[in-house]
Amino acid sequence: MMRRLYRLCLHAYPRPFRARFEDDMLRVFDARLAQARARGRVRWVLFGGLGLLDALASGARERLRRDPVVPELRRPSMGSGWLTDASFALRVLRRSPATTIAAMLVIAFGLGASGAIFAAVDHVLLRPLPYGHAGELAMIWSNNTHENRDRNPVSPADALDYMHSTRAFADIQPMTSFLVADQYIDGQAPDSVRSSSVGAGMFALLARQPVVGHTFSREGAPEVIISYGFWQRRYGGDRGVIGRQVSLSGAHVTLVGVMPEDFVFPYRSMLGPSGFVTALSADVWMPIQFTSGFYVDASGQPTRQARALGLIGRLKPGVSIDAAQADLAGLAAGLAKAYPATNDGWGATVVPLLDQTVGALRPAMGVLLAGVFVLLLMALVNVANLLLAQGLARRREMAVRTALGASRWRLARQSVVESLVLAAGGGLIGGVSLYVGIPAMVALAPADMPRLTEIRPDVPVYLFSLALAAMSGVLVGLVPAAVSSARDAHMSLRDGARGSTLGPAARRLRATLVIAEVVLAMLLTTASALLGRSFLFVLSVDPGFQTEGVLTFQLNVPARFATSPARVAYYDDLFSRLRAVPGVIAAGGTTRLPLGSTNVSTQVAIEGRELPPAALPEVEFRRAVAEYFQAMNIPVLRGRTFSSDDGPAAPGVCVINQTTASRLFPNEDPIGRRLRIGANPQAAWLTIIGVVGDVRHASLEELPKPEVYISGRQGPPSSPFVAVRTNGDPGTLAAPVRQAVAAIDPLTAIYDMKPMTEIRRESVSERRFLLAVVGLFGALALGLAAVGVYGVMAVVVSERTQELGIRLTLGARPAEIVRLVLGQATALALAGIAIGLVLALVAAPLLAHLLFGVPPRDVTTLFTTGGLVAGIAIVAAMVPARRAMRVDPIVALRK
Amino acid sequence: MPFRPSDSALPLTPISFEILLALSDGDRHGYAILQHVESRTGGVLPMRTGTLYRALARLEEAGLIDLVDAPQKPPGVASDDERRRYYRITARGRQVARDEARRLAGQVAAARSRHLLSGSDEP
Repeated sequence: MMRRLYRLCLHAYPRPFRARFEDDMLRVFDARLAQARARGRVRWVLFGGLGLLDALASGARERLRRDPVVPELRRPSMGSGWLTDASFALRVLRRSPATTIAAMLVIAFGLGASGAIFAAVDHVLLRPLPYGHAGELAMIWSNNTHENRDRNPVSPADALDYMHSTRAFADIQPMTSFLVADQYIDGQAPDSVRSSSVGAGMFALLARQPVVGHTFSREGAPEVIISYGFWQRRYGGDRGVIGRQVSLSGAHVTLVGVMPEDFVFPYRSMLGPSGFVTALSADVWMPIQFTSGFYVDASGQPTRQARALGLIGRLKPGVSIDAAQADLAGLAAGLAKAYPATNDGWGATVVPLLDQTVGALRPAMGVLLAGVFVLLLMALVNVANLLLAQGLARRREMAVRTALGASRWRLARQSVVESLVLAAGGGLIGGVSLYVGIPAMVALAPADMPRLTEIRPDVPVYLFSLALAAMSGVLVGLVPAAVSSARDAHMSLRDGARGSTLGPAARRLRATLVIAEVVLAMLLTTASALLGRSFLFVLSVDPGFQTEGVLTFQLNVPARFATSPARVAYYDDLFSRLRAVPGVIAAGGTTRLPLGSTNVSTQVAIEGRELPPAALPEVEFRRAVAEYFQAMNIPVLRGRTFSSDDGPAAPGVCVINQTTASRLFPNEDPIGRRLRIGANPQAAWLTIIGVVGDVRHASLEELPKPEVYISGRQGPPSSPFVAVRTNGDPGTLAAPVRQAVAAIDPLTAIYDMKPMTEIRRESVSERRFLLAVVGLFGALALGLAAVGVYGVMAVVVSERTQELGIRLTLGARPAEIVRLVLGQATALALAGIAIGLVLALVAAPLLAHLLFGVPPRDVTTLFTTGGLVAGIAIVAAMVPARRAMRVDPIVALRK
Repeated sequence: MPFRPSDSALPLTPISFEILLALSDGDRHGYAILQHVESRTGGVLPMRTGTLYRALARLEEAGLIDLVDAPQKPPGVASDDERRRYYRITARGRQVARDEARRLAGQVAAARSRHLLSGSDEP
């Protein structure tokens, strides 16, 4: 690849030179590249990169060489120092402050935007996670081949087998694949915290130590480690907290450690599909133990049926991800053979931890990176155009210098130094704007984006911007240099007195630059139009429930209502109080709020259909408390929903959604059929009493999945979401609702209180942010293209003033003059739009991941965008066209 | 136009001089010249591929070196790829290199007489 690039770069040399030396140079490059390769990959890249630059730079010098007489021999030259050039450049730039400031600002803007996006890409996608040797870490999931879901949590028994038998991993540690909301009591008022249960060796596996205190002493120890943020918030950073006795949702534990400030674990994207809260990160960690609760089966042994663990493994040195995948797949196959009832069809998936954490962000970030790169290119093209126009004014100066013996190389160098000074100024402004812009961008981005808070302007970001600034300076400076030629200089000296015109080369170049701008604008506008239409489609999706007029929050049922009957009584009390709040028309609760919480699924058995446990269908599982369906306005399609008669002593009942009905009971009436939740054959049968409408749960874009609801009176949850419906503004309910909850127990923790409309808005925040940034890019691109078209047409008009004057004198009507100018602008724009359309058709599939409801090659969008770009180009050309129309023939001819 | 006597190639750039030196004991291809120069100067005069070939082009245009197909191998250079181009120093090249060496020697002698070279480096 490097060789091919080098051969391409050799085109920088003049053709005769290439004919003589190309083969030879390639051979030398190959030999030296192989040498560098032997000394490591970094050297190889470095040498290759420098080699390419060398070819470009030296080729350019060879082209600009003035005379064929041994110029390598040293010669004395006036003002040959770069410093002289720079100080001269400063003087020149000061002479036209408006152009200079405009150019610097455009460059600053391009560099600032690229720097910010680079910072995001670098910190989120490229930097290692905040763990020791993070590249060796991987996430291990169960692969449910029945349902085609390759990232399912792992059961405790499978996890233990993996830990003991793996050959690829040095260590594997478990964690709960969800965060739990816990009540944290330490003398003062209670705090609601997100807790994560992890293997006692998890911190050692991640190679991170507490800043204060120590890690867990053993599996299942009654100990807790807290995060730095919680330590600061709750204790103000007091180091004396180690050894404190605290109560976590009723359990008494000892505070043993505080993790460092940069330690985040688990990231939201490392969690499984279930989870009680949509928390950003854990506040506290507790050691896990597979001895009780849902980790064990009826005999008290670790179970294979409840899959609720995420596993993190550290690869042995030198073991690849593929080898680890093969190792775990082999173990999973062994388990499927040994325990077919629970494990048939279950494999294992190994994912690099960084992929697991930020892999989902890659397409969007790629689009942003490409977008900002296009924008930077446009900014540079605009500056080049500006300098070209300025170069026109300075032709006499250049011509004089040429006549006095300055070589083309010398003039090119001067031009590059000038643009480097511009780029340095622009880079400086851009750098300062990075300092404030990156935190602003982070503040605007959706808060649940993983690693968002790690984005900051730091040394690598500034180095990148510096390199970009230098490159921009050189590129921009070479453009005006490339069009001046000896013949032009001669012409300039002669015509100078009468105001000069562009040479044909320069004219062609300017036209090319404008076409390039239109092409780039076309690409960015198309991308933002496609994303914009997708966004509108997403917003128009009917979620299956009514978002307006609903206030939601989550609460922890106070610890004293520990048993099921006590919780049922608590809910009866709570919802009658909420119902009594003035303005409330319905109040209910659920374990999984659509669009606002994570998800949990379970297998169900259908009466009369005998299937082995591993082959049972999977459905999403929720509980509905009190008037949940009414509060959310989820329609009842058949049968009925839960009533107060469906109590703990009554026969078990359940409600299914439409997708469950059509998928599990395609040609029969589901009402009256019976289901059993989970694979346990001892569980009670539940009679289906009703079918409700589908709701969009995970996101507005994802199609509804089969759902089964059980009654909150027959299975009361402990930290439900509550939904309260009113006719008016749900915000006004906040205070009375809090009072109603506190009336039962003043210490009840309430959190995440917000209107359902806000939850819906947050569910599209990532899409909105992407659209906002790309849309901004698109708008700026249109603006830059308009400025480009305006600039080139203004020059054309001022060049042709005389000709236009003659035409007007000879009887041309002003409208014809306008048509002439607009025609030329339209031709440029159409050329750009045509190329842009073709490129957009080629590049559009890159967006496919991010689109919703619109095909990437959507003809309507493409043509609308093309029309918009053409319209803007014509409007931009209108100004010079009107000027042309008003040319005074007398004045024009006298010139 | 800066003043430049067309018949005199002196002073040579360090790179041109090194190339002529490398070719003084036999024909070499480009890579061999590069290796020779880098090993002789101990990497003090790093040479990029582009610089080398531009210098070769200039030297050839000035008639100081020739491109040849059948090389007269210098001692210690194994015969390898026959398709490679070899460069050979011309009589005029030899003369210019000699003149340049004399010029440098004169400068070194002058430096020596002003004790610029005394010290631990002096043999």
